[in-house]
Amino acid sequence: MIKNQILSILRTLWRANRWLHLVIGLLLTTGVFFIYSSTYVSDDAAVRPLYMRQLVWILVGLGLYIGFTVSDYRQLKRYEWAIFGGSLVLLILVLFVGRTMYGAKRWIMIYGGIGIQPSELAKLATIILLAGRLSEPGRNRRTPHELLLTLLLVALPAALILQQPDLGTAMVFLPTSFVLMFVAGVPFRYIGGLAGAGVCMVLLLLSALLLPARLGANEAMQERIASWTGLSAYQRARIEVFFNPSLDPLGAGWNRRQSEIAVGSGGLRGKGYLQGTQNILGYLPRSVAPTDFIYSVIAEEKGFIGASSVLGAFIALLGMVFSTALRTLDSHGRLLCVGVGTFIFFHVFINIAMTVGLMPITGLPLPLLSYGGSFLMVVMSALGIVQSVYVRCDRRTSYR
Amino acid sequence: MNDRGMLFRFCLMGFLMLSVSTVLGVRLAMLHLGPHEARLEQIERMHRFKQDLLGRRGTIVDGSGTTSLLALDMAADHVVADPQVVLEADALIPTASRLAELLDLEVDAVAVKLHQPGRRYTRISMFVPRELSRAISEENLTGVFMRPAHLRYYPHGALACHVLGFVNHEGVGSAGVEQHYDRYLRGRPGVIQGRLDALRREIYTERVVADPGDPGHKIELTIDQHIQLVVERELDALLSSSRSKAAWAIVQDIRTGEILAMASRPAYDLNDFRHSTADQRLNRAIGVNFEPGSSLKPAAFAAALNEGIVTPETVFHAENGSWLYKGRPLRDVSAQGYLTVTEGLQRSSNILTAKMSLMLGNDRLYQYFRDFGLGQPLGIDLPGEEAGIFHPPERWYGISPTRIPIGQGIATTALQLLTVQSTIANDGYRMRPYVVRRILTADGEVVMENQPSVVARVIRSDTAATMRELLHQSTLDFGTGRRAVFAGMKVAGKTGTAQKPGPGGYSNTDYIASFAGFFPADDPVIAMVIVADEPRPVTGGGRVAAPVFAAIGEEVSRYLGLYGDRSSSRMQMVQSSQDVSGR
Repeated sequence: MIKNQILSILRTLWRANRWLHLVIGLLLTTGVFFIYSSTYVSDDAAVRPLYMRQLVWILVGLGLYIGFTVSDYRQLKRYEWAIFGGSLVLLILVLFVGRTMYGAKRWIMIYGGIGIQPSELAKLATIILLAGRLSEPGRNRRTPHELLLTLLLVALPAALILQQPDLGTAMVFLPTSFVLMFVAGVPFRYIGGLAGAGVCMVLLLLSALLLPARLGANEAMQERIASWTGLSAYQRARIEVFFNPSLDPLGAGWNRRQSEIAVGSGGLRGKGYLQGTQNILGYLPRSVAPTDFIYSVIAEEKGFIGASSVLGAFIALLGMVFSTALRTLDSHGRLLCVGVGTFIFFHVFINIAMTVGLMPITGLPLPLLSYGGSFLMVVMSALGIVQSVYVRCDRRTSYR
Repeated sequence: MNDRGMLFRFCLMGFLMLSVSTVLGVRLAMLHLGPHEARLEQIERMHRFKQDLLGRRGTIVDGSGTTSLLALDMAADHVVADPQVVLEADALIPTASRLAELLDLEVDAVAVKLHQPGRRYTRISMFVPRELSRAISEENLTGVFMRPAHLRYYPHGALACHVLGFVNHEGVGSAGVEQHYDRYLRGRPGVIQGRLDALRREIYTERVVADPGDPGHKIELTIDQHIQLVVERELDALLSSSRSKAAWAIVQDIRTGEILAMASRPAYDLNDFRHSTADQRLNRAIGVNFEPGSSLKPAAFAAALNEGIVTPETVFHAENGSWLYKGRPLRDVSAQGYLTVTEGLQRSSNILTAKMSLMLGNDRLYQYFRDFGLGQPLGIDLPGEEAGIFHPPERWYGISPTRIPIGQGIATTALQLLTVQSTIANDGYRMRPYVVRRILTADGEVVMENQPSVVARVIRSDTAATMRELLHQSTLDFGTGRRAVFAGMKVAGKTGTAQKPGPGGYSNTDYIASFAGFFPADDPVIAMVIVADEPRPVTGGGRVAAPVFAAIGEEVSRYLGLYGDRSSSRMQMVQSSQDVSGR
């Protein structure tokens, strides 16, 4: 009996996108190696065995991945509100019992120093809910109040995450839901309006931060105008430093500058595994090297070849996710794939862009490579859902 | 929603994402494949680290056989801090209070130093001994660092402070032997080159160059710390008993010219030179010109005897205490009639000395005085030596020929006064005085050695012998220097009591009392000069300075073994002088 179940699971996995298995496996393995590379010189004994803990996370993540692959994604529709509601409860909970780290309450500690980040869970829950709602056959997605409702649903977890505060994570909700709505067929005029509003807001924000100084307003005036944006001082500093790195080369500009130097110094072939001096000598801050700046470690030690291979692997992975969306005839499955793909894309893009100095520093991890339990669980589950869609998109099996 | 519409939107999205990814790829290529030598250089510059190490300074040891340490370098640290780091860690109050407690400083003062937003460097305390700085390091205070340094330490504090001198905070010798022999004492500076991690800590495994430099040379003085101690003790006693403003003394080995002790009061603690005054730092033994008065007379007597103008038995009339020369009276302390030359020196007759010098003539007087070393620096190996004031005869006034031989209208240093005596004691050979016997490397190899050297032959041996007898006579029964005699020793020497010149002529209250002499009188080894500045109310050199000469002389003779049977004493003297000179 059990043997049969195992055989059936194996058969399902074999029928799934085997190239996707391979790419995920490669990225996870790479991640473990470079987490080791970025921590093996650390003075902190608690940080050095980080790669071992990542291996444990990967095992749990693989369990989730297989679980979601073999189970039917269409079941999600039944639980989407439960999942979404549950993640909202956790987001509220974290504001009260959360552990404060690096100035934000992001973690709920479970046991023995292991914590979960509800904000990561909320990303997936929101994708599942939006994919479900936007693909409901009976719903008219073109009415404004329907659109408003959807936006409100997205705004709820985003607002809670902003309270932590975690601007970067909250920002991910916007493009993800935006792309989902776009692909789901919300009319261009609404989409265009939303996009226009978003661009205007960003421009207003930037001008509030940067213009007063250019126009020669005094310090107090600058401060007052900047405070209208509602951003905290360190967030403003990060943005200002991004546009003018020489403002504070040792403070807020440090990570960005060091990361850029790390990437640049890698050259074509890199300095060799475990040889990245920026990392070893602690110029890349050790606290973020295995998480947010893992890509810069790879780029320094493996050079352009390594860095572009990783980028290529992500493009291949996203290609497979999106081709799954094209393959399936079920619009729910399609929107799930698009949601997951967009979610992964934005993480990859923002993370790499900040590593190479194209965007301000935001604490977004790199999927499958960065150290971090909650995020890995979420990404593995999301990819499991994609595989589930892949397995069931076959015409012969999809309506079984 | 039809499938084609969705496909279109889908493709549009995919295209956008792909193009954004391309931007990333281009940026990656630009960073990686661009001119990354420049970036590597940037990294290297950031990591590189070069620190000059101040070489360990050589030690200074005394000239007694024991070669006791008088100056040495001790390992120490400057305690410095990065105020910005301390403030960012929000640790101002705990850091300041802990540092203040450990370093025994005012909490407020430390807090003020640490509370400098934007500053990256501030000194908390300099030259903290290694044990204490290690204890501070172990506290692991955020933003507090140690910078290694050498602390110059003088185990005996003020002992021989004017000879030793001190080293300023930049490690440059700034007085005494520390200054004059700075280039020998100063080690060859070392250098550390290596790499730093992001917290600006050195990575020890990546040290490229680690040259500790060479320690400086060791200097062996001629100063004998035992004699120095006796001299300083007696000077302190003199200072308090005579209520003098200042006092100074030199002890010399007459055959080599080696200075065995040189002291000056007021003095200062070398370990705390920052709180000393210029007055305390002045080495009066070589740095003060004064009119010596009668203690200079032996030079005139020696000149007259050497020229054969007089013999010890030649008789002069001392004009009963007052003699008018060129309209100005010259007086003696005790009115005398006829006096022999011997008695004239014994009783310190100004009139006899003046008459004798007039017979000698200005040019010969000037020449002899120059040969004795007056009016010129004697070339001692210490900074700040004065030359005295002694003009050539063309610039003398009418009465100068009668005043200069009695030590008026001429200024000398104590060292010059001493040299007159030691030249007479040394058979007329004037030796160059010096305080450093030799300089050795850390391995004991001799780098430089001061050999005894004759600067001039001033008088003949027989004149010198006569002078020794004359000077011995002046410390006997009726001599002014009788208080310089100590038990069992034949002493030779001359007192001096000079009015200090001031605005409007000579002072009637301010005197300089001195005694210069040597012993044993018939076979001299040690010459010594004692000077007291403005003693009150007793002012005479015979009462103020001579007893100090006796007190020091007695202890020094015992220490050097100058007592006892004459023949064996001679042996002992040779023996002890060998000990003294270390050869």
